Amino acid sequence: MSDLDFPSSAETLDGVSTVEVRTSANAALIPTIRAVASDLAARADFDLDAISDLRMAVDEACATLVDVAAPSSTLRCTFLVRQERIEVRAEVNAGQPDAAVSTDTFGWRVLQTLADDVQALRTPGVDGNGPTVGIRLDKHAGETSR
Amino acid sequence: MTEPVAPGSRPTVDTPPLRTSITAPRPGTALLDVHGEVDTLTAPALEQALRDLLADPGAGQLVVVDLTGVTFLASSGLAVLIRAAHRATERHLRLRLVAPSRAVRRPLQITGSDQLFDMYEDVSAAVV
Amino acid sequence: MTQGDPEYGHLSPLLEKYAALDPDDPRREALRDELVTGFLPVAQHIARRFNNRGEPLDDLVQVATVGLINAVDRYSPDRGTDFFSFAVPTISGEVRRHFRDLGWSMRVPRRLKDLHVSINTAVSNLSQDLGRAPRPSEIADQLGVPVADVLEGLEASEAYRSSSLDEMLSSEQGSATVGELVGEADAELARVDFQQALRPVLAELAERERTIVLLRFFGNMTQTQIADKVGISQMHVSRLLAQTLDRLRSRLDPDTRSG
Repeated sequence: MSDLDFPSSAETLDGVSTVEVRTSANAALIPTIRAVASDLAARADFDLDAISDLRMAVDEACATLVDVAAPSSTLRCTFLVRQERIEVRAEVNAGQPDAAVSTDTFGWRVLQTLADDVQALRTPGVDGNGPTVGIRLDKHAGETSR
Repeated sequence: MTEPVAPGSRPTVDTPPLRTSITAPRPGTALLDVHGEVDTLTAPALEQALRDLLADPGAGQLVVVDLTGVTFLASSGLAVLIRAAHRATERHLRLRLVAPSRAVRRPLQITGSDQLFDMYEDVSAAVV
Repeated sequence: MTQGDPEYGHLSPLLEKYAALDPDDPRREALRDELVTGFLPVAQHIARRFNNRGEPLDDLVQVATVGLINAVDRYSPDRGTDFFSFAVPTISGEVRRHFRDLGWSMRVPRRLKDLHVSINTAVSNLSQDLGRAPRPSEIADQLGVPVADVLEGLEASEAYRSSSLDEMLSSEQGSATVGELVGEADAELARVDFQQALRPVLAELAERERTIVLLRFFGNMTQTQIADKVGISQMHVSRLLAQTLDRLRSRLDPDTRSG
């Protein structure tokens, strides 16, 4: 185990580091969110396959949500960096009242393969606004725990 | 999904276009070279390049897709590759993919789609 | 290139003869020299088009000549393509690769390049030992370097593959087709009021296709003139134009635009 250069702890009391990224709900900004996902997973010492999987899973979740987002709205993506595990929650305000995350698509099946756990989320809109639609996913750092 | 861009305005964050080119490194071999990231915005360019690649195959032709320069492959890119594999099969061809990097190999492996292609680590091995 | 080509027509039969020789035929070398010498102006022409980028012309000509030798060796007349449509991309490709490799070695500090190599080796070894992909800390242990270096190195290895700046330079400015022509085509484009919509669509095309569209519709050149300028046959131009226009139409039509 390397005894050099452990990053200084940025943990809160409950052992979770939180990073939240908000962007315009625009596909051109998803690469930035991917870069954050990669960076966090690498710093959390995920194995190289897990880093690649998380990056792709985050991309898939964001792309799915940007597709149903209301025009000029915001994509919110929160990374909860735990010991050996990163949880990602992404959400948008949807444009259409009946908007939801489709779970019978090729993309969703890929997401299920990449992530250890994935869930589609939906909160109905209030006062005539569209619903809030989201995806939550979990990824473990590697095959064997340390 | 399309982003409405008002005429005369430019998006402030540009997505670099996917770079593709088709050459014939040897007689009977068609090589598609791809550089960049393949995601929802750039997957259509990859799809078109693969259509061009498969448009006119001679009998017994080798068809190679060099993904060495691809630094990211999204599920939309994966879907494009899989569709191309099926189109190749209709023409009695099997696509050769050059994919040394984890960003391309990993998605192909965990979805089992690497079975649809002949996989190579190096383009020089793939074109002979 | 046809038999009737005044400059290179006499080389056609030599190409056929060369392709038909056995690999160990003693006549190969002399014939190859004659072919390479005969087509050398083509390689020089292509090299000159990349000349404005700080690389000595001699080096470029050398690299282009290697491309020409490869083209002569690999060309097969009975495949139906003419030699130029095969050789021009082969030669340009060789010169572009030269710039790409150069860009990598000039832009990235030696330390990171060495690290890139060590990391790849360590990853390979560790993957075998562990039966899974290694973690950055495991790679760092293996190499005896700080984890921060490994993180930096993992990021840099992406840079080699994408090297977007080099790609941009080698395909846009140094291109045999777009480089010297973008001036005239651009002036025409400025007068087109669907420029904003057309431009991204044009950007998606391969550079040769893009040049041909620009020359035909804004440069008002005939297909034969375009063929001469780009170095391929008129039939080839016709085919490329048809394919490209189909694609442009479907891209510009909002009903078929992919989302």
